[in-house]
Amino acid sequence: MHRSALINPYVLVLPGFLLAAFIILWPLYQLGVISLSEVNRFGQLKGFAGLENYLAVFADPDFLGALWRTFVWTFGIVIGALVVAMPVALILNEDFYGRSVARVIVMLPWAVSLPMTAIIWRWALNGQSGMLNSGLRDLGVLDHNIQWLAQASTAFPMQILIGILVTIPFTTTIYLGGLSSIPTDLYEAARLEGAGRWQMFREITLPLMRPFVNISVVLNVIYVFNSFPIIWATTQGGPANSTDILVTYLYKLAFRYGKLGEASGLSIMMFALLLFFTLLYVVLAVRGDEE
Amino acid sequence: MSAKAKRTIVAWLLLLPLIVLVFFPFAVMFLTAVKPADEVLQPTWWPSDFAWSNFLTMWSEANFGPALLNSLYVSILSTLLALVVSIPAAYALSRFRFAGRGFFRQFLLVTQMLSPIVLVIGLFRLIVWLGLIDNVNSLVFLYAAFNIAFSVWMLQSYFATIPRELEEAAWMEGASPATALVKVFLPLAVPAITVTAIFSFINAWNEFVIALTMLRRQESYTLPIQIFSLVSGRYTVEWTNVMAATFVATIPVAIIFACLQRYLVRGLALGAVK
Repeated sequence: MHRSALINPYVLVLPGFLLAAFIILWPLYQLGVISLSEVNRFGQLKGFAGLENYLAVFADPDFLGALWRTFVWTFGIVIGALVVAMPVALILNEDFYGRSVARVIVMLPWAVSLPMTAIIWRWALNGQSGMLNSGLRDLGVLDHNIQWLAQASTAFPMQILIGILVTIPFTTTIYLGGLSSIPTDLYEAARLEGAGRWQMFREITLPLMRPFVNISVVLNVIYVFNSFPIIWATTQGGPANSTDILVTYLYKLAFRYGKLGEASGLSIMMFALLLFFTLLYVVLAVRGDEE
Repeated sequence: MSAKAKRTIVAWLLLLPLIVLVFFPFAVMFLTAVKPADEVLQPTWWPSDFAWSNFLTMWSEANFGPALLNSLYVSILSTLLALVVSIPAAYALSRFRFAGRGFFRQFLLVTQMLSPIVLVIGLFRLIVWLGLIDNVNSLVFLYAAFNIAFSVWMLQSYFATIPRELEEAAWMEGASPATALVKVFLPLAVPAITVTAIFSFINAWNEFVIALTMLRRQESYTLPIQIFSLVSGRYTVEWTNVMAATFVATIPVAIIFACLQRYLVRGLALGAVK
């Protein structure tokens, strides 16, 4: 048989590998160079600056605020989604009438893109005529309109709630996959031994779900940390940068304030953090592979 | 009452709060889209009359047609470009053991996780350097490149389920590897390729940050950017138009996604776990 290019794996892999690597490495190299340079707002490099850009990032009070909110945002959504998705997955794993319909409904928020979801919520949360205000007033929960997006104290919790809502489908799916992998005879054996529901959940379900919970937490931390559209399309980080998280702050720094050096330094640091979480994920995924 | 009927009532009651929250934005979108213009700013939920003509008004006022064409162009071309390089790579991963295979798989996992947002300044410079700013082809190129990891990963997890004995049998019969690939393997791979293509398409259709950064003039806007531009930085927002546009832009894609979503999970998340 002659050696055809079609059976040489390197020829087959190369184009995809080069394109995928180029799109990450070239921008990364650019970011590295800019972050170590003095740069004007048009992106022209004016000489070596050492770590000045990195230090300038840390000296900015807006950065510290955004850093703290990123922490609240990420853990709020990841933990919130975990707490809701676990019972939802347990319910959807039971046998009841209309279960497949219920599964589709729970998955619906995943099907709509984030910027579109955020724009709908921006209108729903509108202070004068938003339908959340009118709905809550009709139910007698509110007696006056709340300007949900006008101050951080109501806007940011709402954004976190939206984030939780759109993160639940993916998280639930992972847990459903995990639950279906638990052999049912374990439960039957436990029932014969006289174990109650709660005991079975604690002694069988939770330990066997551990790897799936780990994976969902790491993946969600990555996705949520990076999530830009919800905050950008509802408040653009406002009013007065009070709902900025790192990604929206980074975007403003680069494309609104023209501080390209600082923005590049921040990008590099965020990239390093993401890489750490991604490697953590790879380790978890590979360990799951071997088991 | 049977045990199952009891379970059904309890299950639906427990899910009810979440279901209300899930439907709330859909209700807001739909009811606003069909409200007569003078009712939008009133605090009523139900429109007095369903103004279906809103969709026609929106089409012209919201510049929907050109944005729709841009979105279709970018999503289709970037999907095809990604598939052209991903199918061979996925085939190699699923059929051959070669030095560097493990590295390539891990490289794919890592790049799949990296979001464009942390690279956006570098990507902007890349597109400026290529002279493609404000050109929808910049999105075709970037979306395709960022979709490779996902596409290869999805495809190889399905390709691995196609038995290789079929191709080997074709080789025995005297077919060249190329013929075996085209005549035997590809027909069996069509469902996997279709599903992967649809998800690449949806990813491109929904993308926000890159489009927001690379497109400057309205003529080149894709749908998410066009709809966002109707909302941001304006004193008066025509919410009927915005919600009607959002409805048309999202519902068809959302239905397809909901139908195919279980394949996504099988190929992607659990493919990595298991």
